[in-house]
Amino acid sequence: MSSAPNANPSPPPHEPSALAAVLSYLIPGLGQIYQGRYGKGALFMISLLGMFLLGQAMGQWQNVYLPDMRHQPGGRSIVSALVQRWHYGGQFWIGVAAWPALWQFYEMKVPDKEAQPFWHHFQKAPDETDVNNFLRNSDKTPDLGWVYTVIAGMLNILVIYDAYAGPMFLPGMRPGAKTSLAPKKEMAKEGVA
Amino acid sequence: MILFAVAIYWHLPLMLLVISLVYSATRHEEWDEILIEAFRWGIRMFGFMLLVGVVLFAVSWLI
Repeated sequence: MSSAPNANPSPPPHEPSALAAVLSYLIPGLGQIYQGRYGKGALFMISLLGMFLLGQAMGQWQNVYLPDMRHQPGGRSIVSALVQRWHYGGQFWIGVAAWPALWQFYEMKVPDKEAQPFWHHFQKAPDETDVNNFLRNSDKTPDLGWVYTVIAGMLNILVIYDAYAGPMFLPGMRPGAKTSLAPKKEMAKEGVA
Repeated sequence: MILFAVAIYWHLPLMLLVISLVYSATRHEEWDEILIEAFRWGIRMFGFMLLVGVVLFAVSWLI
């Protein structure tokens, strides 16, 4: 039994893709590019990585790190490090761009201090006295900087979900309309690819 | 004049643009829908920030 012809058929629902979600976690927008959604992928990549890097630069590259827990009671625990520096809980979601902080936290091999001082200190927990002096002698720009890095990380959670399950509204659907999700559910039930 | 003197506020339009565009792009697939939604969210966030700014200015003026 065929259904009545529809003059304006809804597009097929987005197939859930765990691989695209992982790719979008690693580099914002990479999952969308993998799915062939190049424009959105480029928008996410440029916007979020740009915002994350700008935020780091505004804080003189001293605002993405996990604190040094070597001398704390209980040893080097990632949980206690996050309790002390919760910002990283948001920054982590930007993906690979925030991994050097974990690298530094676990004291893995880094470039030589004399040869490459920037990369030697990149996302390493700064000296507390130096940070306090830096913040005391600057305007609010460094504070806005870490806010940028956290916002970029949190926005990437939405991007990961977009890569996994597609946009909230398919083309032609109006946000707020009671029937907005009905075609998506029906088509998914019918197994339309 | 105060706004022109404090440079950090020039970062805020960039933040508005990025947040509204990225958020809208996760809700829609078509560019016209993305841009319309981004414009709406941009206006809402700008209005909210303006309101907070006016309240803070009024408080600082009264005290």
